[in-house]
Parts: sequence; C-alpha cells; structure tokens
Amino acid sequence: MSTLIMIDQPPYGAWTGREALDMAFSLAAFDQPATLLFAGAGVNWLRPSQEAGGVGQKSVEKNLSAAPIFGIEAILADRAACITYGLNESSLLKGVTLVDADAALLKDFDHTAFAG
Amino acid sequence: MADTASGTFTLVITGAPYASQAPQTALGFARAVVDAGHRIDRVFLYGDGVHLASVLCAPPSDETDWPEEWSRFLSEHSIPGVACIASALRRGLVNQAEQKRYELPAANLRAPFEIAGLGEWVEGRMKSTRTLYFHAGD
Amino acid sequence: MTAIHTLHILNKSPEHPRASRCLATVSPEDALLLTGNGVLLLSTQKKPVTHKVFVLSPDVDARGLGGMTGNAEAVGFAEMVSLSLQAQRVISW
Repeated sequence: MSTLIMIDQPPYGAWTGREALDMAFSLAAFDQPATLLFAGAGVNWLRPSQEAGGVGQKSVEKNLSAAPIFGIEAILADRAACITYGLNESSLLKGVTLVDADAALLKDFDHTAFAG
Repeated sequence: MADTASGTFTLVITGAPYASQAPQTALGFARAVVDAGHRIDRVFLYGDGVHLASVLCAPPSDETDWPEEWSRFLSEHSIPGVACIASALRRGLVNQAEQKRYELPAANLRAPFEIAGLGEWVEGRMKSTRTLYFHAGD
Repeated sequence: MTAIHTLHILNKSPEHPRASRCLATVSPEDALLLTGNGVLLLSTQKKPVTHKVFVLSPDVDARGLGGMTGNAEAVGFAEMVSLSLQAQRVISW
C-alpha cells in the first residue's frame, strides 16, 4: 500500500506540516512505502537556510535531507506552487523532485493523506 | 464493485471539539458504520483531535458534550480509541503514566482512550478496508 | 451502481486553498462528497468535473442550503458509509 502524504501549509505558522512528516517517517519505519508531496504554500518547507531558532522552533531541513535514509521513497514539490513562491530547481533543498500535483499523480498512490 | 461489501474502518480525527466539526462528522459516520453492520478497527486522534479525549471539558448543558458522546460510543461498541502520544503530550492531554513520567500536576485522559504512538495509525491502516480522516474545516 | 474510482470528501469552503486543489484533482470517474463547510460549493457557480456529486444533508440544512442542492444528491451518513466502500479509495481533503 503506497501512501502519498501531502503538505500544503507553510512551516512555522502551524504544526500540520511537522505532523505530516511524522506520519511519513512512521510509515517508513514500518517499511510502508511513503512519498511526501509539498503543494501550495507547503513548498516553503523546501526553502534552504531556514533559521528557526528565533521563533523557538527547529528547522526541518535535516529531517528532510535524511528522509531517503529513513526510507521515504521521494520528496515531491508541485511545480506551479514553486513558481508562485519563487522557488526553482536550484533554490530548493537537494533531493526534491518537481512534479505536477494533479489527478494523474495521485492515482499512482493507494492512499493519500493530510495530517490536518 | 457491490456496495454491500462489508468493511473495517480506521477513523482519524485531527480537528478538535468546539473548534471544528470533525468530532461531530466523525461520530455520525462512526454510528452509521456500526448500524450498517461493519466494524471500526480503531479511532485515532491526531494533532488537535487529541482534545476529544479530555476528561475536563465542561460545555454548557445545552451543547453536545463531544468527549462524553465519543467515550460512550467507544465503550458501548468496544472500539479502541487512541490519542497520539506526541500530539497529546504537547497539547496537555496525559494519562496517569505520563503524568508520573513528567511529574505533572494532573492527568486528564478520558477513558476508554489510551495514549500510543503513530504505529497505531500505521497498523490501523494496514488492517482496515478504509481509513477516513476528519480534519478541521478551516 | 456505477463504479467510483476515488471518493473525494471535501469539508473546506470554496475560499479555502485546499478546496480548489481538491476540485482540480477530481476526475469524471470519481465521486465528490461535500461535508461541513464544503457544502457551500452549492451556492457558488463552480461546477465539479464529475456528475457524481453528493452533499451531506445535516450540513446542508445547518447552512440553510436545502433549496440549492441542484444536481447534487443529498445523502445521510448511511450513504456516506456505502459510498466509502463503493469507491476504490477515499481521499479526505
């Protein structure tokens, strides 16, 4: 059962993105195929050089770079959303694949879920 | 595919009572699942949904007491209810074990809810025909 | 009973960014079930791509939209359960 975990809310202002990452990592820990898809404002999780100490939070850059090691199959980002937020292939975190987050993409997964 | 096929459900609630409709929609669905003769494998509270497991809610008498309605439903039908430990601890929903572990002044988890990790969600999904999520509407 | 590839359950109002994302992902062979704030779609001019549109009655009635269901089928929780089993998979937006 392959799962797509979608994150469409930006970091630091809410916790659903972190909760979605936890879901994806849990699936991977149980050897369940999991892919992360960042869409809409959620692509802002993928901006490098996030210094979150000043807002009392931790940046997820390390978690995301470690994702493949933990068994996450892929980190996907919606192309159109990246354009909206001024992110291109070279400005995104390494290891991210640009995709069109459309019906065809979602059909590849048995299960699609949000954290909230 | 015949719609008379039977199924097992895992229900995930991520919206809090009195802040969203999630607990209400989920309960309506859950009752209908049982009435139709299907089974609910478990109910998993995640994110803000953990507030549904609080024993301290005291809504006005003319409002639905969602934690009470849910705990009664789960007990009546012997359905496991789990609050995700990471979500629960952050938001101040603790059972006696966690109260002791963190030396907190009180415990407030409502029976029959238990506290456990995301592994419960992963397992519920694997064992169930369908997993539905009840998120906040905003 | 026509086959349903995916049942999309949408509880977000038309203003919510996830609502457009959901509607853009619905295919003609899918079904769309509007619950909670999602029923407000009925009062807009937006037409989902699929003809299989369902709305949860208590949410329609709560919001005074009883007269505006149009081509959408008003259902109760019993039908919500059977729709979820009828579809090959369910996405809760």
